[in-house]
Amino acid sequence: MSFEPIGPTPAARAGKLALLTLPFLVGLVCVLLSFVPVSAIFNADVAPAFGLMAVYYWAVQRPDVFPPYAVFALGLLYDLLSAGPLGLWALVYVVIYGVVLTQRLLFVGRAFTLFWAGFLVAALVSGLFAWGLASLYFGQTLSPWPVLIQMAATVALFPLFAKLFELLQERLLVQG
Amino acid sequence: MIDQTNRPALPIRDVSGRVSLIFMVTLAAALLLLGRAETYVVDQARQIVTDLAAPLLELASRPVSAARRIVESTDQYAYVFDENERLREENTRLLAWKEAALKLESKVARFEALLNVQVDPTIDYVTGRVVGDSGGPFVETFIVNVGSEQNVESGQAVIDTDGLIGRIVATGQRASRILLLTDLNSRVPVSVEPSRARAVLAGDNSASPRLEYVPTNIEINAGDRVVTSGHGGLLPPGLPIGVLIQTEDGFYRVQLYSTRARLGMVRVLQYEFPDEIDLQDPPAILIQDADAEEEGAVVTDPVSPGGGT
Repeated sequence: MSFEPIGPTPAARAGKLALLTLPFLVGLVCVLLSFVPVSAIFNADVAPAFGLMAVYYWAVQRPDVFPPYAVFALGLLYDLLSAGPLGLWALVYVVIYGVVLTQRLLFVGRAFTLFWAGFLVAALVSGLFAWGLASLYFGQTLSPWPVLIQMAATVALFPLFAKLFELLQERLLVQG
Repeated sequence: MIDQTNRPALPIRDVSGRVSLIFMVTLAAALLLLGRAETYVVDQARQIVTDLAAPLLELASRPVSAARRIVESTDQYAYVFDENERLREENTRLLAWKEAALKLESKVARFEALLNVQVDPTIDYVTGRVVGDSGGPFVETFIVNVGSEQNVESGQAVIDTDGLIGRIVATGQRASRILLLTDLNSRVPVSVEPSRARAVLAGDNSASPRLEYVPTNIEINAGDRVVTSGHGGLLPPGLPIGVLIQTEDGFYRVQLYSTRARLGMVRVLQYEFPDEIDLQDPPAILIQDADAEEEGAVVTDPVSPGGGT
């Protein structure tokens, strides 16, 4: 066991706090963003699952500051805002987070293409999982296309958001 | 890891992380089962979260709608001449329709006066902006920035410039949720014009809702207009919904007039079912009119009423 020789300065403490809450806050913004009709600008009707990007990114990069209850909270917020089945996306997010955690060493420090490919698989699996759950919940076979289209858009936009997250992460890692 | 001092603690954290992961999975699954019951607590929690998020969503949706306007106006520059031509033609046609509508309006007013029809009270409305888009791939809802402060209540119809889009299912103080006609849970009593066949419009998360409980003894055809029937007393009758189409497997669906991608401003109709309205007298002008006709003794003449008044 090693002990810290002196207490951290207030600035360091603030930096630490920012780092500890950063993934959650980024996830929060992402979840809210998925309810903003962004695609309406181009007369389209797709709402990419921005929250899933945040969950995947931080599960791979910094799971130590992105605990399961933060993931759960993000999913729950999504469910509450969407008026869909309560707990559906919370369950999907937490399960995907758990699965990604077991595989994260595959992606850490590797080429971005691999990281992206991992997200493709994660998005596809969570999309199908959510579709299955929703079909069970409503007691009928729903059309899988809306969720597949959503996931396709999410995967396509992932590099952009991963870059943004990376910038934030680097910024705060310097401070933390 | 970056934080060197935390390194020895990692395995312990790993175990506790796994435990809390399992706990969270269980909790989510439990919520999913519990939520089936649609309890009051769940509804309240939804409403509070929506109310809290609405100002943020509204803030975020402003630049979006501004950007959309820019994209739309650049689009329009490309087609401005064609569009102008089209509008001229349409205007000519509409003027003819206006003539016909005015004639019919006066005719209907006379008939209503003669029969002392109890006219529906005028419907108040409040206009709001859609600030929150659809709630994910399994739910078709919008969040609109008007709430109980503007007397919006559950069950009220929501229309845009083209027709009915859905109804309010939950209200907070400053935000409400619209259940779109396309949602899986949406059921709306409709009537198919001109045969006035009654049916139920049932959403299934696809763009064109199904028409259910179609009577077999009344003929309806693809291309017929579908409007709200007003049965059940929740929605005002006669709101335009869409056009009847027939799918390859023989089922009827309705192509909605309002395409949701165009949504921006919507109107919430504060309709109350007229179950307790006082007996109305015909409008004063029509009474005078009828008196004048009685004096002239041409009441039964079928030609003279109609266009004139």
